[in-house]
Amino acid sequence: MANIKEIKDRIKSVEDTMKITNAMYMISSNKLRKAKKVLEQTEPFFFGLQALISRVARHVPPDTHNIFLETFEDIPEERKRRAYLVITDDKGMAGAYNHNVIKLAEQQIKENGGTYKLYVVGEIGRQYFTSRGMEIDEAFRYTAQHPTLSRARHITGAILDDYFNREVEEVYVIYTRVKNSVVSETLIQKLLPLEIIQKSRMEEEKMSALGVYNEEFLMEPSPEAILDNIVPNYIDGFIYGALVESFCAVQNSRMMAMDTANKNAQSMIHDLSVLFNRERQAKITQEITEVVSGAKALKRSQETLQKMQT
Amino acid sequence: MQESNVDAHLFHLKVVSVNGVFYDGKCRAVVLPCIDGEMAFLAHHEEMFLAIYDGQIRIQKEDGSWIEAIVSLGSAQYANNRCTIFVDTCELPEEIDKRRATEALELAQEHLRQEQSIREHQMSQAAMARALTRLKYSTSKNINLD
Repeated sequence: MANIKEIKDRIKSVEDTMKITNAMYMISSNKLRKAKKVLEQTEPFFFGLQALISRVARHVPPDTHNIFLETFEDIPEERKRRAYLVITDDKGMAGAYNHNVIKLAEQQIKENGGTYKLYVVGEIGRQYFTSRGMEIDEAFRYTAQHPTLSRARHITGAILDDYFNREVEEVYVIYTRVKNSVVSETLIQKLLPLEIIQKSRMEEEKMSALGVYNEEFLMEPSPEAILDNIVPNYIDGFIYGALVESFCAVQNSRMMAMDTANKNAQSMIHDLSVLFNRERQAKITQEITEVVSGAKALKRSQETLQKMQT
Repeated sequence: MQESNVDAHLFHLKVVSVNGVFYDGKCRAVVLPCIDGEMAFLAHHEEMFLAIYDGQIRIQKEDGSWIEAIVSLGSAQYANNRCTIFVDTCELPEEIDKRRATEALELAQEHLRQEQSIREHQMSQAAMARALTRLKYSTSKNINLD
């Protein structure tokens, strides 16, 4: 049986922890609101650019040579070198968020086979993969906090550099998206070679086989230059979007985790205060019993004394 | 009759950057920075795609007044009398923080002086080009370094 002081200390410590979780909840909700606003702003750019790329892809002359038009179909699946951009957070306390991302990454690496290269954003993922002895790009050190356009630009630069040097044939992004305020989903998206380019080129082939007229576009200064401009722009936008989405998701998961922590703390405080009251009541009862029995004993001793005198 | 006459000189323009939609509406002309100079679009231009580089873009609005802005890498599309422009960043001259641009320029110059990998060299060059364009067209006089 714990004594009253112990219970009091316990309640105090739970209350202190609750103050922290409460503050974290509020910080997360604030950050989430800001990040959501940023995300909304990027949407017109992103969807518009997607449409533009597929349009460009439909109109590039067949003799254009550009790395973004290559599909690497001649390389067998098991020999392809794949790069994965894995977006985790810098700290835990966000429910299963980091775990889900890491799990999906490991599963994909195993399923796809071939050799892999990991670009990891966020300290948690970096520590996990290093402790598992998986090779990660050491020079690639970016935090998941405060997603900015310039950081997305740096990440794009690093990835495109490997792609241009033909060190990798495929690039994937693994990130988390907020589905609604309760559910987030972890996604994997193929970034390079761009699927929209291949899709629209295939459609174009079908259309021209049917004899459908395709309007002509002038391309200045050259189709290659346009692709060189537009595709990195798109990847920039995509990575920026993925960073912001993941940031939103982590804040959301953290809010939920902190909400649960708050609720648990409240029920703990409730249980403890019941225990505390019971203890206190028991103590009071005991004291009364002691006083009463003391008084009774005194009375009895007086009575015996009187009896003896008479 | 007169209205249709006016309309013939107008076309729809949309300028989108990563930070949102910069311009969306009718305009008379737009001048864009290309790799070898500038290029202007007027109404009913031929259908084309255009690669845009760091520089200044000028938009003549319906009433004839001009808007100037500074853009970085992007691309433009002209089709069906509509022009859509996608750029990384798009800022008004007065929005540019001169001190920040100067700092960025100095940083890029410093990086360029040091030994770097090819990628770092390219990125520093791109950063320097961005900073120079921003400085060239910025109008904010609030901070004067010299």
